Amino acid sequence: MNRIWLRGLVRRRAGRLGAAAAGVSVAVALLACLGAFLAASQASMTARAVRDVSVDWQVQVEPGSDPAAVLDTVRTAPGTVAAVPVGFGQAAGLTATTGATTRTTGAADVLGLPDTYRATFPGELRTLAGAGNGVLLAQQTAANLGVAPGDLVTVHLLGGTATSVRVDGVVDLPAANSLFQTVGAPPGSQPTAPPDNVLLLPAGQWQGLFAPPTSAAGAPTPVHNQIHVARSHDLPPGPAAAYTQEIGAAHNLEAQSAGSAVVGDNLGAALGAARSDAAYAQVLFVFLGLPGAVLAGLLTGAVTAAGATRRRGEQALARTRGVTSAQLVRLAAVETALVGLSGAVVGLGAAMLVGQLAFGSVSFGATTATALAWTAGATLVGLVIAVASVLVPAYRDLRYATVASARRGVGRVDSRGPGPWWARYGCDVVLLVGGGLLVWAASGNGYQLVLAPEGVPMISVSYWAFAGPALLWVGAGLLTWRLADLALGRGRRLVGRALRPAAGGLAQTAAAMMARRRRPLARSIVLLALALAFAASTATFNATYQAQAEADAQLTNGADVTVTESPGVRVGPAAASALAAVPGVREVEPLQHRFAYIGADLQDLYGVRPATITDVTALQDTYFQGGSARTLMAILAAAPDSILVSAETVKDYQLHPGDLVNLRLQDSATTQLTTVPFHYAGIVNEFPTAPKDSFFVADAAYLTARTGSDAVGAFLVDTGGRNVTAVAAQIQDRLGPSATVTDIAHTRSRVGSSLTAVDLAGLTRVELGFALMLAAAAGGLVLALGLTERRRTFAITTALGATHRQLRALVGAETAVLTVGGLVAGAAVGWLLSHVLVAVLTGVFDPPPAALTIPWTYLAGAALITVTGLASAAAAALRQGRRPPISVLREL
Amino acid sequence: MTPRVGAGPRLDAEAVTSPERTGAVVECAAVSRTFLRGGVAVVAVRAASCTVQPGMRIALTGSSGSGKSTLLHLLAGLETPTAGTVGWPGLGGSPAGRAGTVGVVFQGPSLVPALDVVENIALPLLLAGLGEDEAVERAGAALGRLGIGELGRKLPDEISGGQAQRVAVARVLASRPRLILADEPTGQLDHDTGARVVSVLLDTAQELGAALVVSTHDPQVAQRLPHRWRMDDGRLTTRDTNAAEDRA
Repeated sequence: MNRIWLRGLVRRRAGRLGAAAAGVSVAVALLACLGAFLAASQASMTARAVRDVSVDWQVQVEPGSDPAAVLDTVRTAPGTVAAVPVGFGQAAGLTATTGATTRTTGAADVLGLPDTYRATFPGELRTLAGAGNGVLLAQQTAANLGVAPGDLVTVHLLGGTATSVRVDGVVDLPAANSLFQTVGAPPGSQPTAPPDNVLLLPAGQWQGLFAPPTSAAGAPTPVHNQIHVARSHDLPPGPAAAYTQEIGAAHNLEAQSAGSAVVGDNLGAALGAARSDAAYAQVLFVFLGLPGAVLAGLLTGAVTAAGATRRRGEQALARTRGVTSAQLVRLAAVETALVGLSGAVVGLGAAMLVGQLAFGSVSFGATTATALAWTAGATLVGLVIAVASVLVPAYRDLRYATVASARRGVGRVDSRGPGPWWARYGCDVVLLVGGGLLVWAASGNGYQLVLAPEGVPMISVSYWAFAGPALLWVGAGLLTWRLADLALGRGRRLVGRALRPAAGGLAQTAAAMMARRRRPLARSIVLLALALAFAASTATFNATYQAQAEADAQLTNGADVTVTESPGVRVGPAAASALAAVPGVREVEPLQHRFAYIGADLQDLYGVRPATITDVTALQDTYFQGGSARTLMAILAAAPDSILVSAETVKDYQLHPGDLVNLRLQDSATTQLTTVPFHYAGIVNEFPTAPKDSFFVADAAYLTARTGSDAVGAFLVDTGGRNVTAVAAQIQDRLGPSATVTDIAHTRSRVGSSLTAVDLAGLTRVELGFALMLAAAAGGLVLALGLTERRRTFAITTALGATHRQLRALVGAETAVLTVGGLVAGAAVGWLLSHVLVAVLTGVFDPPPAALTIPWTYLAGAALITVTGLASAAAAALRQGRRPPISVLREL
Repeated sequence: MTPRVGAGPRLDAEAVTSPERTGAVVECAAVSRTFLRGGVAVVAVRAASCTVQPGMRIALTGSSGSGKSTLLHLLAGLETPTAGTVGWPGLGGSPAGRAGTVGVVFQGPSLVPALDVVENIALPLLLAGLGEDEAVERAGAALGRLGIGELGRKLPDEISGGQAQRVAVARVLASRPRLILADEPTGQLDHDTGARVVSVLLDTAQELGAALVVSTHDPQVAQRLPHRWRMDDGRLTTRDTNAAEDRA
């Protein structure tokens, strides 16, 4: 009998079976795609973390230990590719005389590097001027001393000995923070900033200065040795597993060296940070993926529910023919298996295709085991959806259905009977309030969604954060149901009046029909609203994320193209006109860059033209505190001695608005530090080209007047976002090696987190595609199935004399109610969820957004697709309505 | 009168038509209706010719599958003939899409599930362009005529099959058609209820001056109508008129 039933289903109910299987396949495909996303993202995050590390290990040779022995131990350690010794010495200061000016710095770090260092660790040094080998001076030191390649610098050792070296080149130290870390110290005890003065010497020359490590006075000169190590990057694909393996290897080396070596594990630290990104990827999966899968499940349920009346009739008929309940359950199980398995197969196939197109991977996991787990998990979810939407309703009908209950599809408007249990207890309101409170609590101060403590293999995700949005999602869906039910039931007369312009004399009849069918209609409205909300919130989150990633890139690079002048090269703002002449350049803005002492702290100081800085770069309000970007720039313009200070400095120095802040800056004429008075006007957290730590922003004209120098540190170039790479190349050609030209395209790929650079774009493409599909299906498919089930009604109406126009009015009224209800509720729920997503996932954003970025084009497209789907469904129903009614009645 | 053969039997009843009634309500000329079922042509009605004059009350008998329902549907304009012509000279053209001209009591359930009884009865009136208030008033009156006013606010699923059939009759009554076609109106009813429904149909036709065609298996029902047409295998074969009953 199973075979006969199955054959009959495939032949006679192919459309409905196909629709249910399609719903299952969407859920399976979405989950499997997310598996592919996680697989691809985890592997790429590990690769990216590894790529960004310049020196994998900095092994500190403990005092009294033999550096050569430690070097041997490191070289023989499993996974070591290369290991070179690096000497760290401390000098009392550096002095340089250029022309008639002699400048002396404070304490300086002097490093001894072997000849092979640069080739072994190419990311550690970046040549800014002169040669790449020999005696190298860090950029800030060169600026402090005012020297250029070829100049002499005197190194004053702590014992009083002084030696002169000729500078071969000026370098940038991109990984200065890790290079000058205190190896073995906990994160909180690390230096807040790398040293101001750094001199790099060839190993032999360094040995001459620092070995033996004694001063002339006999006191030991502070010297220590490190072994810099390049490790094998054959690591597990997931950052967490790679991290665990890596710190295990580091601990193993420390154990082998018996206390003579401490490992500064830069690779482990990078993988540790990537663990956070990986955890965020999982979080995004939960936030962005699960609602889609749940929606697909609900859609499948709605598809099968649309045929519930027919199924009950068929079951009743079969029972009168002697089919037992057990046999009917078996037949329903056969149908379930058919829907579930075919949906799973199609879904997995679709996911492989999408994975290949979006992530370049057809695997659903980073390893074979995880791929199998994802495949099995997605298939299981598909089967669960099939069971819940096919087998369970059939079983429930068999077990509980009576003639009376079978008639529940058409409810009375004035029924005083109890509504759904959740409505009686006000669960929708409770869920919304509870969800709101949880979101409020979760997004409060100090909230961290993902916590990956350094040095600890465990990573913690604040799963409480999921509860808030989940409760809001469910609550909003239920509230939509309640409101739709209320409007269609008790508000029937109002609905009828609203429909009168379109439905004419049949408006109240249409409203009455909808009132009796308000339960399935309300379900359709909820489904459509949730699908649209899913599309809207995902798209808004994505757009906001992209906008903030772009803001991050612009913060780092400064503008579309940035021309950074080399140390020692003095260029005034007039040079901007030459840059403005380059084709493709729209605006050029000079930005001064100085160093200023506040107390004993040296900080970056940026001199801006407040009136025009925003012509070339975007200043978001979130970069500042105490006023918006516009108001604070206006304050700088109105009161040139105003200064914006970092929050940390405000706290450290107990500053209050209007306080006098005396900074010491280098005077151009005397080259000596001179005191320049400022008044504290506000807090700046971020600023284009500024470092992450403390810095100042002041008026450029005031700085020029007080220091006698209008030297520009960088020119910010606006190209309108077009051809940035080509424009940057042209500018570099014109300027030659005297300046460094960077463009935002390269910066974007360099600074973005693993999440930004690699994966989120693919994930959101998939998400947005699925969201559109769900929205179209939730609208069009559910309406079409509902109208198909009511062919009998339309045939009777036609037989009673309805014209095609009147039929169109009836169908159109229902379509209009579903469309308006779904769009309005979808927009409201989407707005709510977008804010909640961004609030809860704040940790993903850098910098945090001041407002949502609304992707209007996508949203308009989603609305258009939904309306088109609904209109198509209505048009199909009306085409059916053109058939002779008796033919239709005969077939039903 | 013996049915003519050749081009198909033609049944007409001019002889019993009252003199003041002019123009047939519906005329069929060699009408055939063929359905394709599973690739096989099934002829439901074969070259049937007939004329229904205003005020006629006709019982259409025949075995199951003889084509009674299809002929009724052809007369109602709900089916399109595959051969021959159907005309409604007395109705001013085809009743298809013109509510209120022809009233049909269908064999199966024909109430709209999402409308209550009053709304179901009012529906064809609204479709015919009547105002809502008037349509509801007429629906209530029709229910009262049938003695089922208490069913007005019930949904079709909340009433029995016999009640539903009486509501379908009330729907016809309310729309005051000039041709009433009832397809097995007593098929699902017990004898007494069926008898009451037929009485209502006859009274309604009488009151409206409408022609009435009732298809039925039940000889007792057929006996209550003055004209009896019979269908065999899609052919309209015999006509039997009880003139005394008709005059009565």
